[in-house]
Amino acid sequence: MNVGANMREANPPEQGRSLVWRLVRSAAMWVVPALLFTALSLILFYRASIYKNFNDPLESTIQALVAKIETGPGGQGSEQGIMLADEPIDPRYQLALSGRYWLIGELQDDDTLSPILSSLSLYGATLSLSPRDAKKIRQHSGDVTRTFSVGPDREPLSLVAQVAIYNDQHLVIVAAADRRPAAQAVRQFSLIALGLLTVLAVGLTIAIYMQVRLGLSPLFALRDRVVDVREGRASAVEGRYPKEIKPLADELNSLIGHNRDVVEYARNHVSNLAHALKTPLAVLVNETDGKKTKLADLVARQAGIMSKQVDHHLRRARAAARGQVIGAKTSVDDTIKSLVRTLGRIYRDKDLDFQLDLQDGLMFRGEKRDLEEMAGNLLDNACKWTKARINVRAEITADNKIRITIDDDGPGMAPDQYENVLKRGTRLDETTPGTGFGLSIANDLAKAYKGSLVLDKSPMGGLRTVLVLPMVRG
Amino acid sequence: MRVLIVEDDPDLARQLKDALGDAGYAVDMAPDGEEGHFLGDTEPYDAVVLDLGLPVIDGISVLQKWRADGKTFPVLILTARDQWSEKVAGFDAGADDYLTKPFHTEELLARLRALVRRAAGHTTDTIDIGGLSVDNRSGRAFVDGASIKLTSHEFRLLSYMAMHVGKVISRTELVEHIYDQDFDRDSNTIEVFIGRLRRKIGVKRIETVRGLGYRLVDPETDVVKN
Repeated sequence: MNVGANMREANPPEQGRSLVWRLVRSAAMWVVPALLFTALSLILFYRASIYKNFNDPLESTIQALVAKIETGPGGQGSEQGIMLADEPIDPRYQLALSGRYWLIGELQDDDTLSPILSSLSLYGATLSLSPRDAKKIRQHSGDVTRTFSVGPDREPLSLVAQVAIYNDQHLVIVAAADRRPAAQAVRQFSLIALGLLTVLAVGLTIAIYMQVRLGLSPLFALRDRVVDVREGRASAVEGRYPKEIKPLADELNSLIGHNRDVVEYARNHVSNLAHALKTPLAVLVNETDGKKTKLADLVARQAGIMSKQVDHHLRRARAAARGQVIGAKTSVDDTIKSLVRTLGRIYRDKDLDFQLDLQDGLMFRGEKRDLEEMAGNLLDNACKWTKARINVRAEITADNKIRITIDDDGPGMAPDQYENVLKRGTRLDETTPGTGFGLSIANDLAKAYKGSLVLDKSPMGGLRTVLVLPMVRG
Repeated sequence: MRVLIVEDDPDLARQLKDALGDAGYAVDMAPDGEEGHFLGDTEPYDAVVLDLGLPVIDGISVLQKWRADGKTFPVLILTARDQWSEKVAGFDAGADDYLTKPFHTEELLARLRALVRRAAGHTTDTIDIGGLSVDNRSGRAFVDGASIKLTSHEFRLLSYMAMHVGKVISRTELVEHIYDQDFDRDSNTIEVFIGRLRRKIGVKRIETVRGLGYRLVDPETDVVKN
């Protein structure tokens, strides 16, 4: 019975993360690391390749030096009897602190390098080796060792060294070059690679977002159709859906149908019960009419109480079933016109003058019988008290609701009575049908629809009743 | 005045028959929609009391059929359902009045009286014809202020003629409107009733129109008219 109420209340407190957000996030969770890994690999690979190219000339220098070493007395560094046939031709080896250096020396036991011969560019300085590098050179005496060092001008160097043996003498031949140009190239490449991959990551995320939106669009459409049903623009969830969510749409439709059936069943049940009880009550009341015996008196009194009980519970049961049919809508114009026609017949001896000012196309978001019950009771009250004229106006309010205003030129009502009249009939002992009882029925119903009923003094002299009700938009 | 009551509850039907009979109506009964529809279709009733919750055919359908067939007799709907949607449906189907159960017999009689006199074009329950006064409310008649004693059949005859004062009414029409369907109808008895009525209210008040029937007149004005 409370399907409608639950649907309304379920939303705000436990709203989950958006489906789109979840899908995009999970995609980003593998796209971003994968791209980062790619970037890192690319940079490392490029760096290795750059330094290899950078070191090749140094190795050539070493080979040239090795080829030109001569032993014997005299010449440069003759102490050790080591000399060069001629020096490498690259002019940078001659220029002081040019960033290109070579050195031939001896590795001491304390891992320091004592130079024998060196390029002019070193300008008397030496090339230093870390103990770790020295150890490495010693261990791989036949191979070329590549490492880093710091130059005489405190510039970072890329350094290549090899051990060569001449006359039992262990010579270390070293060539070094300023590695800043290589580092610069690597830095530039890294920036470009990271930039491009970031663009790719953003592009991929956007593409994924679009794909998710597109993929989920039937779901969004379904949501909109459900809102249509809830707001009374449609009576069932319409449209074609992919096979994954079609069962959901079908289930929703059968749920809406079920809700309608349940409300209808409950209401019919109550109505049938009332009908079944009221005929016997009519028989009892009629049988006792005009009879003055003690028994007749008792039966009449009890029948009266039973009748009130039936009315009271019937009203409560109807109120419980009210406003629960999902997707009901009712034309205000048609309903008021048919009520006015009916009231014209009921009050035909009174010669009523109805002035209708009804905005076109107003749709009440609720059931016809409930609108009839509210407007019917208000109009009936106006007919009862009016001298002749009754004005009915229906319009849209600023906050998109329906406002029905009914004025009569009767005697009206004292303002301190308004509240009392609207509450009448809510207590069992007051459910005697009579004047004003209809107003409280209309009030209860308006509240059930989250609307309102306000009583006021009419400019025409009598009572003004203003009924505000939810509207079907669009 | 002849009235049809279509009501499926036997106790309520009996009470209504008694109450309406006591009030001077000739009453026919139908326990379901089918029989009710048939009677309304074939007999000339002055009014119908119609329950809505009927077996076989529901009351609204019966009413719609009658109106579609051009039946104009006033119909009072009797129902347990008191919602406006049902009232609107009832009036839209062609009802003239609406009474919800449980009701008091007095209320029903007053509504029925109003329907019958309105259908005949009268605005009050009492019809005055030159010193003759027929009070449909109390079921009594007066001549120059003095109450006259009438049997129920005599009053029914007078009441019907008073409703249609000045109009020529055939014997058949009188038979159809003052006897219920179970009564052994003999149009000769009408002549007997007319004779008795004339003795009680004055011979000149009821004219015999040869070959056509009778008419109730105001003797003072009628002389002038003829």
